[in-house]
Amino acid sequence: MMSNSESMILKGGSVLVTGATGDIGRAIVNECVSAGAAVFAAGRNDGKLSALVNQYESRVIPLNYDVTDEKAVKEAFRQIQKQQNQPDVGPLMGLVNNAGIMHQAPLSVSTMDGLKAQLNINFLAPYQHMQLASRLMARHRHGSIVNIGSQVGEQGSSGLSAYGASKAALSGASRSLAKELAVVGIRVNTVAPGFISTELTAHFDDEARQEVESRIAMRRAGRAGEVARAVVFLLSKQSAYTTGHVLPVDGLFYP
Amino acid sequence: MNNQQKLTQTFVQALGIAEEQVSDGLTYNTIKQWDSTAHMILIAELEDAFDVMLDTDDIIDMSSVAKAKEILARYDVQF
Repeated sequence: MMSNSESMILKGGSVLVTGATGDIGRAIVNECVSAGAAVFAAGRNDGKLSALVNQYESRVIPLNYDVTDEKAVKEAFRQIQKQQNQPDVGPLMGLVNNAGIMHQAPLSVSTMDGLKAQLNINFLAPYQHMQLASRLMARHRHGSIVNIGSQVGEQGSSGLSAYGASKAALSGASRSLAKELAVVGIRVNTVAPGFISTELTAHFDDEARQEVESRIAMRRAGRAGEVARAVVFLLSKQSAYTTGHVLPVDGLFYP
Repeated sequence: MNNQQKLTQTFVQALGIAEEQVSDGLTYNTIKQWDSTAHMILIAELEDAFDVMLDTDDIIDMSSVAKAKEILARYDVQF
């Protein structure tokens, strides 16, 4: 069993988590707070953000903004820039680009608007977040960025070409930025979940779920907490020599 | 410490150069210490020292000490 000091692996700093009110986002917030970090929780739903604040009190600072609104993103980072100086918050040492959307559609009926929406949320928004977060982290020559990719982006999946492209773009940028930012002490990694039981997969009926699970070596869907623990590992010094890596959290999935 | 001194010290620390080397004419990529990595650190240190968040266009444009002063003036930092 880990001692309390060993489990507080993010103590003394803060982490920005986008998409913080979804199932995986909430699990990431929970694990980050448990590991000792103050969390800037970014989302769009005031009620859900308030629930997070009520649950974790001063350890969670809510940020309500649209991740695709460049001006709003910059204002959010301006707020982080100011609040990270508070002793109970601490410098921004982690960014988790978790906000994302998935539209399933075969090529013949995929719309350009659908493609652009997924690229905007799943790739362009994380890119701007990495740009701004890296500047705050560079001051301390220390930071860890974790992007939530997907095994669909790594391996492809029929009917998910636009989503897969957006996630592949993200992991591609992560690998390059890992090389670019290593000199200023910033690591960049990707967590690639497989089929995870969340609100995004809740519409799968039993038959569809069984079909997907038959393509998972471990024969079950993943849990949000399992993704979150991989994220915290990559945020922490426990992975201090790991960068530019894509970590599957998928039970060995063939999408 | 006035803003000019603060600016000079920021360049000294970010680029690892002597105070005497910091002049308005000092330009990006003309000394080996001011390379792309140092530029990133310089931007981070300037934002910290003057409590501002620079636009990307301004970062691209910040090619000399003189230009840094001109850009920071737009963020209400007077020299």
